[in-house]
Parts: sequence; C-alpha cells; structure tokens
Amino acid sequence: MYNKKLVDNLTTGQSKLLSSRRRESFDLFKNLTQGDYKRINLIDYQFPEYSPYNKEYLKDKKGQDELLIKRMTDNLNNEEEILNYLDQFKDKKVEKGNQGLDPKYLAMAEAFYNTGLFIKVPKNVELKLPVEIFYELDQENPVLIDNNLIVAEENSRLTVVIDYRMQDQNLEAFHNGLTRVIVKDNAVLNIVKVQRFNNQSDNFDSNISLVSNQGELNWIPIELGGRNSVTNNENTLMNDGSRASISSVYFADGDRKMDLGFKMNHQGRHSSSEIESKGVLKDRAQKVFRGDLYFQKGASQANGSEKEEVLLLDKTVNSDSIPALFSEEDNVEGEHAVSAGQIDEQRLFYLMSRGLTKAEAKQLMVEAAFNPIFDKIPLNDLKGSVINDVKTRIRS
Amino acid sequence: MNDKTEVNDIDRSLHEEKNVEKHRYQSAKGLTPEVIKEISREKDEPEWMLKFRLKALKIYKNKEVPTWGADISDLDMDNIITYVRPDADLQSDWDQVPEEIKDTFDALGIPEAEKESLAGVGAQYDSEVVYHNLKEEMVEQGVIYMDMENAVKQHEDLVKQHFMKLITPNDHKFSALHGAVWSGGSFVYVPAGVDVNIPLQSYFRQNAPGSGQFEHTLIILEEGANAHFIEGCSAPKYSVNNLHAGAVELFINKGAKLRYSTIENWSRNMYNLNTKRALVEEDGVIEWVSGSFGSKVSMLYPMSILKGARARAEFTGVTFAAEGQYLDTGAQVIHDAPDTTSTVNSRSIAKDGGHAYYRGLLKATKNAHGAKASVSCESLMLDNESKSDTLPIMKLQTDDIDVGHEAKVGRISEEAVFYLMSRGISEEEAKAMIVRGFVEPIASELPLEYAVELNNLINLELEGTIG
Repeated sequence: MYNKKLVDNLTTGQSKLLSSRRRESFDLFKNLTQGDYKRINLIDYQFPEYSPYNKEYLKDKKGQDELLIKRMTDNLNNEEEILNYLDQFKDKKVEKGNQGLDPKYLAMAEAFYNTGLFIKVPKNVELKLPVEIFYELDQENPVLIDNNLIVAEENSRLTVVIDYRMQDQNLEAFHNGLTRVIVKDNAVLNIVKVQRFNNQSDNFDSNISLVSNQGELNWIPIELGGRNSVTNNENTLMNDGSRASISSVYFADGDRKMDLGFKMNHQGRHSSSEIESKGVLKDRAQKVFRGDLYFQKGASQANGSEKEEVLLLDKTVNSDSIPALFSEEDNVEGEHAVSAGQIDEQRLFYLMSRGLTKAEAKQLMVEAAFNPIFDKIPLNDLKGSVINDVKTRIRS
Repeated sequence: MNDKTEVNDIDRSLHEEKNVEKHRYQSAKGLTPEVIKEISREKDEPEWMLKFRLKALKIYKNKEVPTWGADISDLDMDNIITYVRPDADLQSDWDQVPEEIKDTFDALGIPEAEKESLAGVGAQYDSEVVYHNLKEEMVEQGVIYMDMENAVKQHEDLVKQHFMKLITPNDHKFSALHGAVWSGGSFVYVPAGVDVNIPLQSYFRQNAPGSGQFEHTLIILEEGANAHFIEGCSAPKYSVNNLHAGAVELFINKGAKLRYSTIENWSRNMYNLNTKRALVEEDGVIEWVSGSFGSKVSMLYPMSILKGARARAEFTGVTFAAEGQYLDTGAQVIHDAPDTTSTVNSRSIAKDGGHAYYRGLLKATKNAHGAKASVSCESLMLDNESKSDTLPIMKLQTDDIDVGHEAKVGRISEEAVFYLMSRGISEEEAKAMIVRGFVEPIASELPLEYAVELNNLINLELEGTIG
C-alpha cells in the first residue's frame, strides 16, 4: 500500500531533488491524520490500492515550441527550477492559502503521484492555442494521482485545459490530484478543468495558486462526475492588482456527493477576485459549497465577490452553502450572495405555453444557466460533449 | 488626510457603577454535587428539580468546551461563583427594595420605564430576582409574570412540562452548566387570545465579582396570544471575569405572536454564553430584536424552530464590537413545516480592534416545502485594526423553497460622503448620517429608550479633515 517501499519504487529513475521531495512528503503523510468530510458522510475514507498510470495524457504539442513541458515523474535536468517554484508556496505569507483540501491528501499526492506535468510559459510569450491534457481512467489505469505545476512567467499568456474522464461506467476508479499554479507579473493564465467520472469513482483535487502584481488567473472548474467528489481551489492574491476569478459549474444527480471549496486570499492592494458558481442538483444528490473570501491586513482597496446560484430539481436533494467573508482590513469591498430554489414556475409555464414539454423546458433553463460558463471552454469538441452529457442527464 | 471617522463608545459609567457587595448567601467556588444540593436547598425546590440539576451537572462534567468560536481559556470555570443571593427578598413594591439595589435600577431607568410604558417589570440582582410587578389588568386576564423560582413552586406542572425541553443539558457544555446551576429569571404565561399590548421587561444586573449569572426565562404564549418581552442586561466591571450562561425558552402556540427584544450591555469582562430558542407552532410569529454591545466575549445564536405550517420568524440584530471585544453572534432558523417564512437582517460594526463575527444557520428540512427565507448581513469596519467576519451556513433538504442570502463588508463609502458634502453637509455630519443610516433598520425596531441608547452609542464626534 502507501508505504516506504512504494516511495522507493517511485523514486527509482526519478531525478534526485524531486525524489527527496517525495520522501519528505511521505514522512509528512505518515504522521498526518486524515480529515473527514462529515457533511457528505465521507468518514474514514480508505485509499484504494496503488496502481500506476501508464497512458499518454498530453495532446501533441503543435504550435507550442516555446512552451516548456516536462513530466514530473521523469529524470529531469531542470529540477532545480521546479523546486524553486515549489518553494514559493512555503512562504509564511501564503500559508493561509496553501492548505489544499486536506494536508493528508496533499502529502499523499506529493509522495505517490503517478503522473503530472510541469508546464512553463516563458516571459513575454503568448500562446494562442490551449495546452490540452486528458486523463482517461480505465481497467488498466484505475488510479490517477497527478501532481502538476503550471507557471506563467512575466507578461505571458496561456490557457490549459485538463479533462478528467472515463468511458467505463462500472469501473471503480480513484483520483487524488494536486495542481499548483504561479502567475507572475502581468501574466494571464486560464485553466479549465472538466471532471466527468462515473458514479462508482471518487475524486479528490487540490488546486493552489499564487498570483503576483497585475497577474490574472481564471479558473473554469466544471464538476459533473464522481460518486464522491471533494475539491478545493485556493488562490493567494499576493501583490498590487493581482486578480483571480472562478467560474464554476456543478451538476450532481443520482446519489452523487460533492464538497466543493473555493477560497480567495487577498493580500495585495487593489487585488480583486470573483467567484461565480452555478449548480444543479437532481435526484438524491448532495452538495456542499464552501466559498471563502479573506481580506488580510494590508489588502486595502481590494474587492471580492462571491455568488452561488443553485437550482434544486427534486425534493430529495441536499444542498449546503457555507459562504464566508473574513476581513481584517476596513478599506475593502466584499460581498457574497446565495440563491437557492426551484426553476421559476412562471418561466417554465411560459416555455410550456410555447409548446415545449416540461422536461424540455427544464433542460432549456438549466442550459441557460450553464452556457455562459460552458462558453469559456476553448475547445469546441470538449464543449459540445460536456453540453451533451448534461442534456442527457437532466432528461433521465 | 484620509482620517477615520471617530465613533465614541457609550458612556459606560452608569452601567459599570459597582455597589458594595452584600449578600446573604454565596455558594462556594467551583462545581460539586454538594454546591448544587446547597443551591437547591436554599431555594427550597421540588425534588425533581434537584434531580434535574444533578443530572445536568454530570453532563456538564463530561462535555468538551467547544473548539470553534471564541477563545474562552481565560475563563476559570472552577472559580466562578455560581450562586449569589443578594441581601433582599423579592418585592413587588419598589419602595421595599433595599436602597442600594434600588438606586442601581433607578440609575438604569427601570421603575421610571415601568411607570411610563411597561405592563410589568422584573429585576434580577445577581442570582435572585429582587423585584417583580405586573399591572393589575394583566393579572385579571390570567397573565402570569413572575420570577422562575416561584413559578417552579406555584405553577409546577406548567414549568415541569416546558422547563429545558427546548434547550436540553445535552445541547452543549454551557446549557448543561445552566441546567445544573440556573437561578432566577422570569416566567411568563399568556392565556389564549390575550393581548399584552404593552411590553414586559426583565432587567438582569450582576453585581458580585467573579460570579456567574444563569437566569432562566420561560415564556409560554397560548393560542392567539400576543406579547412583547424586553430583556436588558448589565454588570459593573471587576478585574475578574464573570460568566453569563442564561437560557431563554419561548413556546409560541398556534397563531400567537411574541416579540423578544434584548439589549445586552454587559461590562467588558463578561463572557456572555447565552442560549435562546423559540418553538413556533402553526401561524405563530417570533420576532427577535437583538442589540449586542457589551461583554468581552459573546457567543449568542438565537434559534427559531418553525414547527407549524406558515409559522414565521424575524430576526433584526445589531452588533457593535469595540476594543477588546469578540462578539460572535447570529441567528439560526429551522424551517420544519410547509410555507414557513423567515427574514434575518443583521448589521455589525467593528472598531478599535474589536472583532465582530456573524455566524448563522438556515436550515430547511424535508417538511419545509413552500418555505421562503432571506438572510442579509452587512458589516461596517471603522478602521483596519478591527476584524469583521461573516459565516452564514445554509442547509437545504428539499427543493420547493426560495432562499436568498446577501452579505457585504466594507467601510463608509467615500462616494456617499462626497455626495452628501456636495449637498452642503459637513464631512463629519455626512459620515454620522451614514452610520446612523446603517443601523436605522434595527434602531427603528427597538423600544424608544433603547433606540436612544443606541443613538448615544453611535454618537459620532466631529473629527478629521477633508481627505
């Protein structure tokens, strides 16, 4: 299982510094107690047996010559650079925003990752085409532990799309991921993450970012799958004018359970953030939405907003919302809003009076809520298939 | 440049005046079954109450101190005196109350208010109620308003049926403590259809140092009854920490309506860990009006349980946290029946390093179809030494509901100040107007004398230059 022997195996053939980082993480992992997710009844979760992931997960790199992409599991010659970037997350100042979804899951991902990429877009480089990463789990590759580091150097521009998916509806798969992101001065980075696991699989994902002066980071997390899906997305807006946004969509049906956390940690002056989340719950689905806006002392003239809208389609759903606003600075503007309820009866009635069936009308309303965010997916194929998936599931 | 608006604290001298400590009986420090038995014997209570106290004490010993919220490690539980009997018997004629105690309540304006606008008054000094009075016409209609001790004896069945049924010793450590050592408080019973059209008021005053006040308030409104209850609290400031762990249980039957107003102005060494709950039946209404200004630490989350169809809850609260204060307050509403509605409106102000925390819960159970709820929290920060946090939790277990929530934090808007100044108003006055406007929705809900108190509190000083 997840022991020293496995770490030894994993470090064979891997470069030195990254290997020793694995071992450090293992030491942490050993001594940590695992957190529970009581609100979705996920208690004493047992990690399934380790298994390697041997498939290709990077789409060919046309037009990406200027980009640096390395597999974290390889024997790398630029590992010092990677370590330097990783060390930036250890800074005391960012500690508040460097927790991941749970220290144990975080240490697990860093000790036992079986995939993962280091992606760097150099200074002043602007990439037109998105980088596409797809992890497709199957019988031979049922465990995915990805450790990614994405860096946008000064004044660069990049979009990364990561698609987590599976075809096999009976597979019991497991994902515990970690994506660290650094956005330097004036850079713009967009990250789209789509998760469409089947309802037998468990998904855990930590996303942690640092955004510098005038840097901009836009997340588009689209959570559609998993039996249990626990994700965390935390951003530290370190300097003047750092910006981050999260445009999230979640859809849970059947007996799926989701615990989604979003955090904006304002440190820099004039930093700004926006969290927008649109969700739909159906059947017996359970979901927890956690949105935290922190204004640390010194973040004067920062502004942050957070908005969650959730449509409840059945009596048997369970919807928890925990929006939090913490402020240590007076010269800020922070607000959050939540609205929850059914589809507006009048609108539904109007659509039905135009000849749509109730199911069609409902589907149209859900699409209307989701589409502004789906439109941010830069790949048409992916967007089309996501829209299709949602359509089918709303109707069933 | 950019000077901050100065908001002055309320003049506390009135509330913090201490009297020479005089008491007839004081329980030993700390908590043992012997102390509990002693308190019960002093009060000459029925056997069941003593049993209840001892059971609660056991629960108390086994419960952990909550790890969230305030740091209460400064509170030395073993050294809190749980029971202090003042050197006075219960009176219903104001002139009979000992001079010193009377002066204290006079200074607080209690008998004066009674003459003018109250249907009844109760005053508690340390652990015991020293004065209780109810207007004759109310007595004639069958209204009961008396201190809890006498209610336990005179209306034993009624009390036994309701006492700590809504808040049980199992709920948390401080409700268990309350169950073990409760003393004093008011009992109100309004028969079916009776409208107590002028407010009833109880005032709690804690004089002995290093003591705890654990009053129990039990209010029962029968079908269609209507009442307004006002609770006021204060204590002089000693160097040792005092504890207030009262309990308020409100039973609102079919179609009844209760307004429960509180102005809490404990001195700044008080740990205010109060528990309040209302159970509302069909078409019943609970209205909470709550002002939290005093205490060192407050953890107070009044809960409304909407158990009957179309029951309604309204919460209007203002919290003002100044230097050295950590005020953790908020409303809890549980929608457990169809077509229930609730409105929560909270405003908080933090200044001089004060920490205001709104922590609320909104829950809609499977039975709550057709429920409507809205929560609105606004926080104003007057400087960047202070902290302001908002954490409204929502838990929805059915689909046919309409829930909305909004929260905001920020400081006085410069644009608004600028606009008012462009209309010929001075900067100071403009800022004062904005702060007054900020708490206006709450101030307008308060009884007049408390609205005045609130206004004093937000007595803005002219300070600062144009930025």
